[in-house]
Amino acid sequence: MADLFLPVMIAFVMIYALIKGVDAYSAFVNGAKGALPLMASLMPFIIAMFVAVELFRHCGLSGYLCNFLSPVFRLIGIPPEVCELTLIRPFSSNAAYVLLRDIFAKYGADSYIGKCASVIMGSSDTIFYVSSIYFASTKVKKTLLTIPIALICNIVGAILACFCCRFI
Amino acid sequence: MIIASLVMMSIFSPSAVVGTMMEASKMAITMCIEFIGIYAVWMGIMQVLDDCKLSHKLSAILSKPVQYVFGKTDAETEKNICLNIASNIIGIGSAATPYGIKAMQGLDKGGKVATRAMIMLVVINSTGIQLLPTTVIGMRAIAGSISPSCILWPTIVTTFVPTILGILLVSVLYRRRRHG
Repeated sequence: MADLFLPVMIAFVMIYALIKGVDAYSAFVNGAKGALPLMASLMPFIIAMFVAVELFRHCGLSGYLCNFLSPVFRLIGIPPEVCELTLIRPFSSNAAYVLLRDIFAKYGADSYIGKCASVIMGSSDTIFYVSSIYFASTKVKKTLLTIPIALICNIVGAILACFCCRFI
Repeated sequence: MIIASLVMMSIFSPSAVVGTMMEASKMAITMCIEFIGIYAVWMGIMQVLDDCKLSHKLSAILSKPVQYVFGKTDAETEKNICLNIASNIIGIGSAATPYGIKAMQGLDKGGKVATRAMIMLVVINSTGIQLLPTTVIGMRAIAGSISPSCILWPTIVTTFVPTILGILLVSVLYRRRRHG
């Protein structure tokens, strides 16, 4: 069912473009052209995050932190293997992608852990980044409860993600 | 974080520091190349969507709920909020941000304290209302998953529930006191 959704959606978009008289091929090429410059501009940050994350994990600090927190995570139904990912997701999506790729390599994309990690990754966003650039564009200094509310929603999302993954 | 890690590694395994860093940057490049492929395909499809004005159609549908949730805003800001949410939903995050920032500036009355509508917009954006987790699906396909998009339904559920929770929390905590 879910496997069918994306192909059908893409076909629908193409047919819709045909009906509307939009040149789908050149639109696709135009859009795809943007991928390389986008990646080129993101690459330095991805490398920096990758190095930082690897150092953080190799020195064992991250292990201590997760050992410390994993009972709490277990209690709310989040497997300890995705604990690192859940913690780092609100700060940096690049760092989170590093961890996600690692989880796929270690446990496999189709394992329960892999699925949980995918859903957590797909269903939340970088709270601190989003709120900093959004508020930076205004004169606002006091953001009141924005961050706490967003964090609560994120944790609820992570719990729900691990719960839903039991059924697929 | 980096300094703490470096200090710890220098104490316990100084010989591994440079090796770890180089290994990491090598992996980073591999990931970047994989990502170029994923982005190129999805950005292409999104551009087709965009050229068909489908995102504008979607934002027209959204305008009623947006009016309800955000309260009274001017027409321009409302349009930006709708386009921001619409772009998020169909997965073009890079297109969502400029609209979001424009909407924030539209909501800015020059005050130093965030208004209810501002908090609402940031919370909605940070719970990531994304219907198509395109990058994650691409990564799963590369990792050899037999069903890369099986995470679609759980992702939709886990993206909607926190978003609704966020809207409720903001609504309850900040009743329409200031600026309506």
